[in-house]
Amino acid sequence: MSDVAPSNPLRIDPESKADPMSTAELNPSKRLSKNIKSAPLRIADTSVMSVSGLFKSYGKGTVQVPVLKGVDLEIEEGGFTAIIGQSGSGKSTLLHLLGTLDAPDSGEIYFRDQRIDNLSPRQQEHLRNREFGLIFQFYHLLPELTTLENVLIPRMVQDGFFRYLKNKRAYRKRAIELLEMVGLGHRLTHKPSQLSGGEMQRTAIARSLISDPSILLADEPTGNLDSENGAEVMETLTALRKHENLTVVMVTHDDQLAAQADRVIHLVNGVVAA
Amino acid sequence: MYKLLLSWRYLKTRFIALASIVSVTLGVATLIVVNSVMAGFVDQMKNRLHGILSDVEISTQMFSEIPHPERHVEIIKQTLGDQIQEATCVVRTPALLSFDVRGRQWTQQIMLLGIDDETFGKVTDFEPYLTNEIKRKSFSFDLEEDGYDQEKFKGDAGWKYRRTRIEIQRRIEANSREYDSLYENAANAFYNSEPSHVETASYENASVQEEQGSRFAPLPATLPDIPPAGNPAEEDINPQTSATANVDVPQENQLPEPGTVHRISPFDPHAKFRPEINPEDLFDPMKDHRTGIILGLAISERKVELPSGELQDAYLIRPGDDANIMLTTIGESPKPVIENCTVVDFYSSNMHEYDSSFAFLPLSELQQLRGMIDPMTGQGSVSTIQIKLKEGADLDAVRDQLIAQFPPNYFPDYDIRTWQDTQRPLLSAVKMELTILNILLFLIIAVAGFGILATFYMIVVEKTKDIGILKALGAPSRGVMSIFLGYGMSLGTVGTGVGIVIGLLFVQYINEIADTVAVLTGQEVFDPTIYYFSEIPTVINPITIFWVAIGAIAIAVLASVLPALRAARLHPVEALRYE
Repeated sequence: MSDVAPSNPLRIDPESKADPMSTAELNPSKRLSKNIKSAPLRIADTSVMSVSGLFKSYGKGTVQVPVLKGVDLEIEEGGFTAIIGQSGSGKSTLLHLLGTLDAPDSGEIYFRDQRIDNLSPRQQEHLRNREFGLIFQFYHLLPELTTLENVLIPRMVQDGFFRYLKNKRAYRKRAIELLEMVGLGHRLTHKPSQLSGGEMQRTAIARSLISDPSILLADEPTGNLDSENGAEVMETLTALRKHENLTVVMVTHDDQLAAQADRVIHLVNGVVAA
Repeated sequence: MYKLLLSWRYLKTRFIALASIVSVTLGVATLIVVNSVMAGFVDQMKNRLHGILSDVEISTQMFSEIPHPERHVEIIKQTLGDQIQEATCVVRTPALLSFDVRGRQWTQQIMLLGIDDETFGKVTDFEPYLTNEIKRKSFSFDLEEDGYDQEKFKGDAGWKYRRTRIEIQRRIEANSREYDSLYENAANAFYNSEPSHVETASYENASVQEEQGSRFAPLPATLPDIPPAGNPAEEDINPQTSATANVDVPQENQLPEPGTVHRISPFDPHAKFRPEINPEDLFDPMKDHRTGIILGLAISERKVELPSGELQDAYLIRPGDDANIMLTTIGESPKPVIENCTVVDFYSSNMHEYDSSFAFLPLSELQQLRGMIDPMTGQGSVSTIQIKLKEGADLDAVRDQLIAQFPPNYFPDYDIRTWQDTQRPLLSAVKMELTILNILLFLIIAVAGFGILATFYMIVVEKTKDIGILKALGAPSRGVMSIFLGYGMSLGTVGTGVGIVIGLLFVQYINEIADTVAVLTGQEVFDPTIYYFSEIPTVINPITIFWVAIGAIAIAVLASVLPALRAARLHPVEALRYE
């Protein structure tokens, strides 16, 4: 535990979310612009996330399979980074570690100069909920909920019962706006089972953006889609990235997709290839 | 918010979980029905017991006595102050009751209570339990002309019945007397007409007659065809028999007695000592009755189920009939006493224990019979003092006050008890029964709890990926856990709510349901001959329902703890990888 007070998860991003009840909080577009403006003040270089000496191995008991063998990398603010590698090269594991879904065996992960890999579960949950938008290969929508509810889930997780009811109108407005942006404005009350793969993934993209995250972590977003749907999803992602001025980290094994990125990191056998 | 939303969605989409709480519903419904019916029974029973037994009583052993009861009552009233409402003195003794049933003696043991008709009804619920409606309004130990339960006795009760019965008996007696006198006349005629024949008969003549083929003189034509039981001529010289006959004369003077004249012997040595009897002073069973006695209904009533399934009441003895009671006096050398009584009414509290043994006599009458009246002062002693307290008085406190007033070291023969003390074995047995039933039924709900546990575990396994998603989106473990706890609680609440509604409806219509079941199965569910209740009594206790509901919901929540914990402990990456 470095210099982060464990009782105060808000310290990671002191400006943007100090007062959640403020009008800025309720108006996502305003908050977003504020966020971008404040960015240069905090960070001298443009790196939003940095990783050094990351080791991770899976397995039980004596048989340990090393997956990451000392990864160092930096992710630039506002950039589109693609991590590319063969199956089993550890790219998904790396993304999970970046998203604090898993803990590294050794090494350090910094987000905005705060070490995040050793934060308390509470603080990591807060990070995942507010700062990171996660997109998965298998969309991972909740089958019992409608498209709109699926998009709203991070907000529901974030707020308590009464605060959510209070803010519900603003959240809904933003969710519908996002769903319209991904082209699903007409499918708000559909269940995931009634959607196509591409539509589900676009819903997942909308969900990842509802909390106005600083960084979008996408794990093979098109991996489970045919080329047409995959292209559509990529288009959506690119458009949104520009519109919302997002930092995107995308894991893929597809060189063509990686070509769209500003920067490509090759992961080979658990290390970053030169 | 997401917790509520997801709990609700899971509730709506997973009907198998609803099936798992059907047993909760049934358990809750059964608990409510059982508790209500048991409470109804206990309530009825307590009411009756309480009504019969009075609040507190000071009693002594049955062959002992409490002297100076008035003084005792005075002291009790002083001690209890304004807590007391009324006190009454009772003599309680075991006795034998015997009466005629079809010409044979029916004898049975009873508990005889000598009661003060002024105060007894104020201390216990006595009058409402009488079968005669006139007696219920104004009590007395007199036989009534009317007012007996028409449905029970079909008019065969009271004065009219008594007169009819005596009339029939007299006619039968008259018939047999007529027969006797006919026979006597014939016999007299035979002996008086030919006295020389008997006197002159000698052994020699007899032998001659024997030879002639006829040993006896020819019989008169009027002789009845039944041979005489004894020698009628002997009666004339027996003074005891003629005396009895003589006393009987005025009693039966309405009937012709042609034979009596011949019975009076001119040589009766007791004739002049015999007192003159005025027929007007004598007891006339047509107009008078003996000491009134009130019998417990079950002493006389026999409920018999006819082959047709119909219930028929039969009576061994009816109001207006006479019965003997046999009891012993108290004191150093108890002696048996027999008293002839007339049944004036029945007592029906519907508590079989009491209805089959209690009989009531006037207090003074019983004191007299048992020799409980002090010949010097004329004051009677009693065996029990029953006390009724005002509403809200603390029974146990009053009992303790009385024990302090009559300390056991000075009054070792006094037994001071509340009605609950008296009926403790019964009341605690019922309470025990109810406790065990409740435990058993809660076990049923607990079994249902394991069903919920298994179902929930399966749902958690099925929802592993969703749990991973929620965790990836920043939901804390606590939140994930509360989704499943909330799910368990809402299932428990729904199950319990439905169970309560079903249970209350069942209780509300329990008699109709019992009737329907009886029709369907052909077997009586609730037999009024056994329970003495015309219908199943129920009491709904809101506190019981509250605790049943709390218990059932708690079991449902507890059963979902384990699956919820498993859900909370899932690792997000592993959960997401789960397919």
